Amino acid sequence: MGQIVGGFATSHVLFPPAGVEEQAERVLQGMLDLRSRVAALEPDVVVLAGSDHLNNFSLAMQVTLAVGVADTFTTLGDGGAPSVTFQGHRAFAEGFVRHANRHDFDLVQLEEVRPDHGMAIPRLVIDPANRVPVVPLYINSNMPVPPSPGRCYRLGGVVKAYVEAERPAGERVVVVGTGGLSHWLCLPEQGKVATEFDEDFIGRMIEGRSEELAALSAEHIEAASGNGGLELTAWLFMAGAVPKARGEKLYYEPVPEWISGMGGVSLLPA
Amino acid sequence: MTVAPYRVHKLIQDLMRDPAAAAAFAQDPEGAFHAFGLAEPEKALLRDGSPSALHALGVHPNLQMKYARLRAKLPAPGASGGGPLAAYLDRLTET
Repeated sequence: MGQIVGGFATSHVLFPPAGVEEQAERVLQGMLDLRSRVAALEPDVVVLAGSDHLNNFSLAMQVTLAVGVADTFTTLGDGGAPSVTFQGHRAFAEGFVRHANRHDFDLVQLEEVRPDHGMAIPRLVIDPANRVPVVPLYINSNMPVPPSPGRCYRLGGVVKAYVEAERPAGERVVVVGTGGLSHWLCLPEQGKVATEFDEDFIGRMIEGRSEELAALSAEHIEAASGNGGLELTAWLFMAGAVPKARGEKLYYEPVPEWISGMGGVSLLPA
Repeated sequence: MTVAPYRVHKLIQDLMRDPAAAAAFAQDPEGAFHAFGLAEPEKALLRDGSPSALHALGVHPNLQMKYARLRAKLPAPGASGGGPLAAYLDRLTET
């Protein structure tokens, strides 16, 4: 059997430091801390969960949950992240889709996708040398009917069961959720940061209480943390893969100038 | 919250995927508005193009950003990197 050896989550943007130099540096250091911790776990594969920003999927085709199964992926090059090609893991990804299909999740398989900044920046943070294969998992948080937080959390449990039941002995898997925290994008509230919500979310997650967060409705999370805050369903997918895990806050900075609460956590399996 | 008719979203989605159409739009937005069958009030708000106008029309937040790029005639995302990450890229790419 394989093993989920760690779960992490992080915001997936960075903006120029002008005017917020100290906060920007703390955010960057938090991301680099995450990089070091992932590397120390020596993963054989990383499952990277996050959203697409209407670059691959659009209102023309609204995909709820999807897995990148290709051998390689070339990033879009938006958000300041250079366009690069990184390795996927076809056997892991296709096996996961089939396992999930037997456990009440019918996942869309993606052969052609250009990961945008939502995946590209965290991947750059985690593994700039492209040493570790990455399986992208797309969770819709931008289009009208997103999956519920509870369903995302349960899907994390499915990937855990898959790794433990079907992957080779000794395989080490890290799961990373990306996006958030609170932000209101292109809405009248843009620039607001829900610091109290963000800190409570991080606090409960690192105390091993992610099930409480998974019980929240998507509508509640969106109302409390903005349309961008719904990206936290990717954090809950990660938490579901390491149930009851406790951990550490790697960084949190409310940055209204970046219209976002910026944060990251590390969870070690219980 | 108001949600824009799909024809408005389709216009933005189609333009962002077609550099030639985006270039044509930059020269003649009225032609694109006509081709996508927009109503006059929709055209007026898209001509305005301000955040408040796009919000009033109910344009999807992510597509508001893409529409702003189209109007600003910014190039599509490319291979060079930098931009918002420029101050961090040396440390982010360090191996």
